[in-house]
Amino acid sequence: MKGKVWLWLVIALVVIGAGVLIWTGQAPKQETGGAQGVKFDPNIFVFVGSGDAETLDPSKAYDTASSEIIFQYYENLLAYKEGSLDEFVPMLATEVPSVANGLISADGKTYTFPIRKGVKFHNGAELTPEDVEYSFERNILADPTGGPMWMLIEPLFGVATIKDLACQIAGVDSFDQVNEAALRATGQRVMDAIEVDGDNVVFHLSTPYPPFLSILARNSSWSCILNKEWMIANGAWDGKAETWTKWHDLPTEEQALFEKAMGTGPYKQIEWDRSNSRHTMEAHADYWRGPAAIKTVIVNNGVTEFNTRKLMLQKGEADAIYVPVENSPQLEGMEGVTLIRNLPRLNNVCAIFNQEINAVDNEFVGSGKLDGNGIPPHFFSDINIRKAFCYAFDYDSFIEQVVLGEASVPYGVIPMGLSDFFDTNGPRYSYDLEKAEEYFKKAFGGEVWEKGFKLTLVWNIPNTTRKTACEILEHGIESINPKFQVEVQGMEWATMLPRRREGRLPMVFIGWLADYADPHNFVYPYVHSKGDFMAFTGELGRKFAAAEFDELVNAGINESDQAKRIAIYSEIQKKTIELAPHLMLYDAYDRRAHRDWVKGFVFDPICPANYDFYALSKSLD
Amino acid sequence: MLSYIVRRLLFLPVVLFGVTALIFALISTLGPWTRVATFVPSPDAERHVDLEAIIRKYNLDDPPLKMYLRWVKNLLQGNLGWSQSSHMTVTEAIARRFPATLELTLFAVIPVIIGGIFLGVISALHHNKPLDHATRIMAITLWSMPDFVLGLAVLMVGFGVLGWFPPGRLSAWAELEVLKESFRSFTGMYTLDSLLNLRLDIFWDALRHIIAPVFTLACLWWAFMLRITRSSMLDVLNQDYVRTARAKGLSEKTVIKKHALGNALIPVTTVASSMLLGLLGGVMIVETVFNYPGLGLLTSTAATRLDVPCVVGVALFYAVILVVVNLVVDVLYSIIDPRVRLE
Repeated sequence: MKGKVWLWLVIALVVIGAGVLIWTGQAPKQETGGAQGVKFDPNIFVFVGSGDAETLDPSKAYDTASSEIIFQYYENLLAYKEGSLDEFVPMLATEVPSVANGLISADGKTYTFPIRKGVKFHNGAELTPEDVEYSFERNILADPTGGPMWMLIEPLFGVATIKDLACQIAGVDSFDQVNEAALRATGQRVMDAIEVDGDNVVFHLSTPYPPFLSILARNSSWSCILNKEWMIANGAWDGKAETWTKWHDLPTEEQALFEKAMGTGPYKQIEWDRSNSRHTMEAHADYWRGPAAIKTVIVNNGVTEFNTRKLMLQKGEADAIYVPVENSPQLEGMEGVTLIRNLPRLNNVCAIFNQEINAVDNEFVGSGKLDGNGIPPHFFSDINIRKAFCYAFDYDSFIEQVVLGEASVPYGVIPMGLSDFFDTNGPRYSYDLEKAEEYFKKAFGGEVWEKGFKLTLVWNIPNTTRKTACEILEHGIESINPKFQVEVQGMEWATMLPRRREGRLPMVFIGWLADYADPHNFVYPYVHSKGDFMAFTGELGRKFAAAEFDELVNAGINESDQAKRIAIYSEIQKKTIELAPHLMLYDAYDRRAHRDWVKGFVFDPICPANYDFYALSKSLD
Repeated sequence: MLSYIVRRLLFLPVVLFGVTALIFALISTLGPWTRVATFVPSPDAERHVDLEAIIRKYNLDDPPLKMYLRWVKNLLQGNLGWSQSSHMTVTEAIARRFPATLELTLFAVIPVIIGGIFLGVISALHHNKPLDHATRIMAITLWSMPDFVLGLAVLMVGFGVLGWFPPGRLSAWAELEVLKESFRSFTGMYTLDSLLNLRLDIFWDALRHIIAPVFTLACLWWAFMLRITRSSMLDVLNQDYVRTARAKGLSEKTVIKKHALGNALIPVTTVASSMLLGLLGGVMIVETVFNYPGLGLLTSTAATRLDVPCVVGVALFYAVILVVVNLVVDVLYSIIDPRVRLE
């Protein structure tokens, strides 16, 4: 009997299975429409990417995937003028402040923004100047570790974090020692820096700060405008000077806006399905510039496999997808798909020379001495070594073969996208082994050339672009002198982090993507002694930066005159070639791939989002 | 039998302790500066981050024993911690991902077991004849095929060429329908939920999405089932009682159905249970290729980002499943094979 039951079960299931196969096989034919049998729905836009947002809270979000979503839900006081990186148009403000119209004070320290009327939040509430004031105060006081709020804290208070401000007010060294009164004074200080004055909101800066408008402009998620009443109702800071510490530096998931959104932007949030990495948004019906043409947008950030994304684009399941640089040739000539390449974004990649390597038990520096089997800790503090390395990298081959032409050879630490700020006829490095040899011979009084050296270059798995960059550099150097030995080693990020932090890596391969469109945002991290990248160069590197660059970098940020700023940044740019603090590998370009039916795409080099969905529409002609 | 089941279940906490203690012991070999990498998604994202503050805030420099005790204390309060890589609590992550995996498993198990047994029996009955060779060659080919290659091939043909079986779990329009308040979620398995909501259109859409990954999984596991069934069947067919049955003059059909098959299926049950466990644990590559976010993807993302609470949480969950499924299989044994007694 048992055998019979089994058999019947088998037959029944096979029949059902076959039926299902046949039925579902027919189903899509009924659903398809549009050109070439692919799906077309003008009301839904599907973007398929890889890698989801970390948080939707503007005070914490500091990665492109997060900013990309925040960009659709919220708005800023200003926006960049289309096609420009230094001119602005009003957005939630009605005028762009300038010294000429009196909205920026003559000393460059007070900015006034008249706030637009009749703007509706997604819940129907009307925007008030109080909302604007609250948005900045709340984000600044929240100041979570690793967040972007330093960008506003620096111009407003002259310190890097709100904890530093509290310490400064209390006159103590550690935040734990700050007393109740000083905490309240800190809250009050922040609230005094941003004030409502009638229909205006006024910012009081501690020092003139030329990129301030860039930091406020659209694309800057940290400066977007929140809804005060809704925020308080949803458990955010209550707006009082004495209570802010309760909301300060909360874990990401405990912040009020971690997974929710309430802005004035063209789209309102329907859902963030975190388990599927998918954001669903709907056009805001009361949007002040008129509702968006595309009613529903789905951003699916969970498709990590490129081939899957490619097929979805090909079949029209996706209107646009994220394309890594190495995959763009696969989309070339695909029917019904537009591929736009070589878009100049504000992004460059370098290899930092660690001028004072921590050589204790260090597997990357060989013997740790200049004996032909290693390098001494201060190997890269010799300018001749740095220049020799810069001449030993085959820039053109790398750009042609690895990033497939989507990059250019750098003029220094400021990328091509900001070429208004430097001389594009200035010097650049090229692949020149003779020059490299010449500098190697000069280094350490000829000792390096005579004895040779050995070091290991480390790249982070799975970034194979960087791996190839290491290998190209290895090839260049080893072909100069057989005594030069370079090894290339891949490492998981978690393994690399402690070694990088302890200063063990001889060279650190890393890229910088602009926070806002101003050269200060590049020169500071790259060459200021307190910048993020100089932190990887040891005490000697920081001293070198302080002696050579700090003054120039400070001059650039404290100068309001545009012509003078250009002169300063041109000089810094030239000096970064001359002194070679880093090996600048390439200025990276960007690309987009979408169906031909997507209309209205305009590239914005500083926009965190691949697409401004508000500007788009879908049509088959 | 009841006392046997209770005794086995009482053993569960011991297994769980062993699994989690082992994981924590392994993690203790990593320093706080390695573990803090979870909070910085990539080397280029370490900007203005005070990593020391993060280490202090999340007590990453505590000794492993202290970490383990804290974790156990939280566990007893039903709190598995926060998963940094999936942006939600570990409990929530498992609760949301498991239905997808379960759905995939349920759909895959049926064709795998039935198809595998069917082909295995056929193969054994045509021992060393062309049909046997053909199925064996197919089995070896499929078994040695890397899953990502087969997965991509199925996707290319089923979606790229034919356009029938798209990746993901639902089409864009169906996703929007599911989000509406009128659609109630009962199980998190879209095929079942759509039927319970009487939405046949969504049911077909969900089914269309699940066929390609199920087919890929089936191809990969068919071979396995086929080979086990075949060898077990061959073994049984050479037994004395089969010869006796034939000598009695029974028809070949009766011999196979009544005498051979039942006995041949005992080892298959063992294998099927281990396959079921493998599938329930999530299948990373197939889930990646078909963009079908289940437990496999969750675990792999968590592991590569050193998301300790998530890795431990999933391991705990998996250990529970393992113990329960093994128990069910043991009970099944005693039903299928009267010689097996549970004591």
